[in-house]
This record gives sequence, structure tokens and C-alpha cells, in this order.
Amino acid sequence: MTLDDLTRTSGEWLRGTGPESDIVMCSRIRLARNLADFPFTNRGSRTEKTEIESHFRSAISAANLELLYFDVNSLSSLDRQFLVERQIISRELSGSEGPRGVAISSQENVAIMVNEEDHLRIQYMLSGFRLHEVWDEINSLDDQLEENLAFAYNPSLGYLTACPTNVGTGIRVGVMLHLPGLVQTKQIDKVFRALQKINLAVRGLYGEGSQAFGDFYQISNQQTLGKSEQELIRILTDVVPQVLQYERQARQTLVTERRQHLHDQVSRAYGVLKTAQTISSEETMLLLSSVRMGINLGLIDDLSVATVNELFIQTQPAFLQKLRGSELGVEERNVARASYLRSRLANGRMATGE
Amino acid sequence: MICQRCKNEASVHLTERQGGKRHELHLCMACAKKAGLALPESPPNLALDSVVQSLIVANVGELVGELAELACPDCGIKFMEFRAEGRLGCPQDYRVFGRGLLPLLQRVHGATRHVGKGARKRPGAIQRLRLRSQLREAIAREDYEEAARLRDQLRLKDTHV
Repeated sequence: MTLDDLTRTSGEWLRGTGPESDIVMCSRIRLARNLADFPFTNRGSRTEKTEIESHFRSAISAANLELLYFDVNSLSSLDRQFLVERQIISRELSGSEGPRGVAISSQENVAIMVNEEDHLRIQYMLSGFRLHEVWDEINSLDDQLEENLAFAYNPSLGYLTACPTNVGTGIRVGVMLHLPGLVQTKQIDKVFRALQKINLAVRGLYGEGSQAFGDFYQISNQQTLGKSEQELIRILTDVVPQVLQYERQARQTLVTERRQHLHDQVSRAYGVLKTAQTISSEETMLLLSSVRMGINLGLIDDLSVATVNELFIQTQPAFLQKLRGSELGVEERNVARASYLRSRLANGRMATGE
Repeated sequence: MICQRCKNEASVHLTERQGGKRHELHLCMACAKKAGLALPESPPNLALDSVVQSLIVANVGELVGELAELACPDCGIKFMEFRAEGRLGCPQDYRVFGRGLLPLLQRVHGATRHVGKGARKRPGAIQRLRLRSQLREAIAREDYEEAARLRDQLRLKDTHV
């Protein structure tokens, strides 16, 4: 499989399956790990980073892990952006320099970044609300890597990381939620403030600095020291159901108090996406969000959530350009985006790529 | 709009006024960075970074005199550099800068001791980290004989199989 083959498939985490998948797009855990006998990435020489890359690649083959490695240093900026859009690499890894890469599994559940802020950033994602399963998978992956790699660790501070905000477990436990109901009923800020009070971070679809996008929000822990992985997962599995309940109540309010308005909004959104000749990324996200909620409320019945989930990613700039096989300016992308949406949404076609 | 220095799409647009004249500059991110004109990309972990930064400043204030000169013997980073950049240089820094870091960890995590998964014991890692820093220094002063010797020693002690 090559990077270009990825344009014909999509990650498992977009399938729209698993518990609570009407709201929980996916569950994700990442672990920060460093090799004990190398300086952290920001202080590593080119040679050292190359050595880290080769130690990592030996460790994945020794553990018989079926992962595909991309040498990010040799990828074009379009290809790097393409991996960022798919949530496979961070903007930071895409934008940095020197030897670095990412190993992914064919279903894209696993993505291990090499020479990001930490030597290894191990990520595991599953569609729906399944944090315990994600933990079992990533914990075993971490063990398999550790068979052949000496991780920086000390008994009192745990796994040692380049930034003290990640030290200890090195874990970030997160869920990606679709919250259009709370956005439309203007209750989202209240929910965020409550989450921040209990030390949970809220971010947009594309991570830390970026704005929330298509009404998707990631909720994750910030504390990594002094609580075990299980405790940190438990905080999320306790809190997320409450957020889901608020979102369902908000949607119910919209249905009972503004049914016609809501139905109109959803139908118009679907109509525009099916027929537009040119459309911006922002408008696409906004309309896809309405359509996604419409499907979950039974207002649209000829379209799957999986297709809509995929379209959030597949209408991004780099994906469209990879699909066309050439670089496109903003205007050309808007035309390509509209054309792609029309082809995917014609006759309520079902999701592809399973 | 196309970048004025290469053919990529321009994403940085600047207007300058010089002597009453208006100059417009349209560059792609790469050319803007080269020219030192790009806005800093929104840093990852924005909130956390600023929290860390303010905590570092608030909590190590009285130690600065002593800590300012403190440097890690393994990676060479000074505590002051960590204070400015928010990133440590190597795993040993947690020991070397312990006194400066503990109040920070307490504020960020509300704890200073790890609870949770433990790594397996791997003796010799610190020694190899030190050999690596000696190797870097040998290369820097172009002492290739010493560098070759250190590289051999490292190879013998390699635990990543």
C-alpha cells in the first residue's frame, strides 16, 4: 500500500459504528514515549534522529507488527497535509524538519509518529465510544514496542517526556464528539466551562490550537502525573455520558420547539451539498454538520453516517488535490469539492471503502 | 493569488507603508518563513504552553540565580533555556533540574509522583546518553579518532535490538 492508495480507503474511525456513534465519532488514546539514551527530539542531531527512526523500524519488524512506514521527511507538503487531514500526523510533525515519520495500520487505527515532540507518539483510534478497548489495544502495542526499545522512565516520575505537561503516564485519553445541538441551542460554552473546571481540555477537530470545526470537539485529559491510566480513562467514561445526555436533550429541544425550522435547515443543507457547483470548505463543514444531525434524527434516510463522516475528511484541500492528482488553487478546489460532493451524494449512495 | 517568489499559492499577505507608498507582498508560507515574515503558527497546546510558561516564571523566580547557571551534563541544556522554550533537552533533565521542576509539576498536575504503568528496567541507558553527548562534542571539535572510539563503545552497549 502506498500513500496514494489511501485516497481510495478511509480510516476505521470514520465508520460510524460502535456505542453512541451518533455523537461520539471516535475514541482515541495517545502515549508519549522517548528512548532513554537519546536527547529529546528538539535537541537531537540529524544522525541521532535517523538512529531513532531505525531503532523504531527494527522494533516494529521484530514485534511482527503489520504497520506501513512513511518517511515524512521525504514527502511533499501536499502529502504531509493529506496525512494531517486524516488525523494520522500532527501539524507539528508535518511542519518540522529532519528525519521523522509515521507508521500506520491498514485500517488507520494505529498511527505512531516518530521524532515529533517526543521520539514516539503512539496513537490508537476506534469509532464510537470504546475507550477501554482502545486502552487494551494501545497498552499491548506499547508492550510490544518496549520488548525492543528502552523507554525513558523513572519510578517516581514515570515516562519522561520533552514537555513536563506530559510526564508520568504520557497519556492523552480523548473522544471526538459531534455537538451541533449544544452549539445551536447556545449551551456549548457552558459545557466547556464545566469541563475545564474538572481539568479536561476541549479542542477542535484538528487538535490543540485549531478552531472547532463542523461542530466536532475533542475532549481529553490534561493531567498525566499522579493518576493511573485507568483512573484517567474513568474520568472520561464518567463525564462523557453526561455530555451526550446534554446533547440529546438539546437535539430534542430543537425537534419539539423548532421542528419545521430544523427540518428545513437539514433539507436545505442536503440540497446544497447535492447540487452546488462551487463550495468552500467552511460552508461544506457547516452543511455536513446539519446533514449528520439530520440523519441521526431520522430526517434523512437515504444517506449513511459513515459517508458523511468520510466527507468531513474527503472535502479537505489536500484530499481533493490528491484525488485530482494536481495542485489546485482555492477556486479550483471549491469546484472540485462541489463536484466530489455531488458524485458521492447522488442517489443517496452508501459509504465506500469498507 | 500566487506567491511572488515561487509559484505556490500565497497565504501570507502583507501591506507595508514606506514614505507614504503602499507595498503589497503576497507569499506562500515557505517563502514567508524564509523571509522571516511568517506569523508564528498557532502553537500546539496553546493553553498548556502559556500555563507552563507562566508557572515556570512564577515558581522558579527565587531560584533563578542558582538555577540560571545550571546546565545538564548530558545534553547541555541550561535551565534558563528550558524556561524560555518550555521543552527539556533529555530524560536526565528531570533529575538535574528536579528542584526547579517539582513545583511546576505540582501546579500542572497537582502531583509529583507517578502512578500507573511501569516500564521494564533497562540498565545502562544513562551511560549511553553520556557517551552520545561525548560523541557530539568529539565531532564538534573534529576529533574523529575519539568519535570512532565512542561510536564503537555505543555499538557494544546498544540495548535497542
